[in-house]
Amino acid sequence: MTAQTQTRTTASEAVAPAPSLFSVRDLRLSFPDLARKPLLGAAPRNEVLKGLSFDIPAGQITGIVGESGSGKSTAGRVLVRLLEPDSGSVLYEGRDIGHLDESALRPLRRDLQMIFQDPMSSLNPRHKVWRIIAQPMKRYGLGGTRADAIAALGKVGLPAAFAERYPHELSGGQRQRVGIARAIALKPRFILADEIVSGLDVSSQAQVLLLLKQLAREMGLTIAFISHDLSVIRHLCDRVIVLNRGEIVEQGSVDAVFRAPASDVTRTLLTAIPLPELDPDWLS
Amino acid sequence: MTGSHTHPNTLDVMQLGIALPNGHRLLRDVSLSLRPGEVRALVGESGAGKSMIGKAVLGILPQNLRVTGGEILLEGQHLGAMTPWTRRKTVAQSAALIPQDPLTALNPARRIGPQITDPLVRIHGWSRAKARDTALALLDRVHIRDPKRVMESYPHELSGGMRQRVLIAAAFAPSPRLIVADEPTTALDVTVQKQILRLIRELQQETGTAVLFVTHDMGVVAKISQKVTVLFAGKVMEDAPTERIFTDPAHPYTRALIAATPSYADLDRPFSPVPQTLIAELQGAIARDDARHQGAAR
Repeated sequence: MTAQTQTRTTASEAVAPAPSLFSVRDLRLSFPDLARKPLLGAAPRNEVLKGLSFDIPAGQITGIVGESGSGKSTAGRVLVRLLEPDSGSVLYEGRDIGHLDESALRPLRRDLQMIFQDPMSSLNPRHKVWRIIAQPMKRYGLGGTRADAIAALGKVGLPAAFAERYPHELSGGQRQRVGIARAIALKPRFILADEIVSGLDVSSQAQVLLLLKQLAREMGLTIAFISHDLSVIRHLCDRVIVLNRGEIVEQGSVDAVFRAPASDVTRTLLTAIPLPELDPDWLS
Repeated sequence: MTGSHTHPNTLDVMQLGIALPNGHRLLRDVSLSLRPGEVRALVGESGAGKSMIGKAVLGILPQNLRVTGGEILLEGQHLGAMTPWTRRKTVAQSAALIPQDPLTALNPARRIGPQITDPLVRIHGWSRAKARDTALALLDRVHIRDPKRVMESYPHELSGGMRQRVLIAAAFAPSPRLIVADEPTTALDVTVQKQILRLIRELQQETGTAVLFVTHDMGVVAKISQKVTVLFAGKVMEDAPTERIFTDPAHPYTRALIAATPSYADLDRPFSPVPQTLIAELQGAIARDDARHQGAAR
């Protein structure tokens, strides 16, 4: 099956198709279900990803959307190879990275960065902000001085004084910006952003999203943005992939998918969003 | 119930002030009221003090906070004039909480059943049998498929949406006059959020319970409430019917909150954070207010 059969292409894309940074074909992944494991013998397996095929175009923001349990985070974690697929291919710049071992992955680790949902658990609480940003830079030989960290903070709109603070001294939005600073300081090719605004209130959410969009443009980043909020995806992303129970039910440019959603799953996700406008019938 | 005939409001918060021990003000003369059967949204960014108002009403403020002034009336009864014991009893009998995080609100080591029925027996004096029947009926009412099995389950065996349904059932079980819903859907994804909002709306309308609905989501405000209180830095910016908030908001901060909310249906209106200039202006006004307040206190 080619990507074209599933994907609706808009006119602009047909003129100049963006080359793919990732090309994923028939991706399958299962986890052992330990709750149902018999005393002797192997546990039965839960299929989490059931044959996903999609592309992540270079230089674009691709939204991955679905309910909890749809497999969106799992699919993302395969892209940055925190998880190894059961079968299928994960081509990164034409090379299958699906089953590379850790030493072969090492040169790619810097290219493939991740920003997490809960910065309180992904930022070391014992370290000052500058060290959180500088340590991985040092690890990859990209400097790693206080000044380097402060420069990265500047890119996410945080003043130099924040370098000396601890994560618990920051607000949620500021913490999330430190997470972004840590990722972009490594000059990555790709960033996986997994529900990075779901814990934030609206104004911080807007700040973080606008920042991400601006950085993507300035640095030519490719981003996979995982969310359950289609309003956010509509404003931020170029393309969208809709997942349901481990399968892709719809994918395409955001313009096409939002103009005429083809799947009931997409329509359900859309109507579930409480828009900031009066609609007395919405809850009935 | 006695107060409801002589006093029209379920809840009156009047000029409520709360401060840290060092005198830093967290709530500044907040007033709001809630009629029977009404849903009032309390909206603002994190740190605006919106949860604190709910906690002050329920008498579950953190120990280190001081109430510096004001009155809270529950069905016309002055809570501040009561002894701590009477106050706790009064609040427990006529108000309930739906918390944000259902996992921390439930005891992980106990089965769901007694966690719902115990308060009904202890506080409301019901028989075990009546408490159990009510719990089963309410779990069924909140669309839990196998209420008997869920009563026997532990919290970790249920999904996030199921746990929140359990807490909604527990809150409505004693037929309270007031429910404080403290960001009850923030931890849930959008489809489950809609189901939970619908449930709260249905039960609230069936029982005539008034709801103080704390949220930061202007979308949720638009759908669930009839009245809105907009808070910034512990101060009321605007208090108006929901319809007016979304058709003709009076305060620039209200307009900024709406503008910060993305909408897939409205691409012409790009969303933007609350402007720093507006925040600085509002903070300046509050600082001047505080200085005057301190001057007056001296």
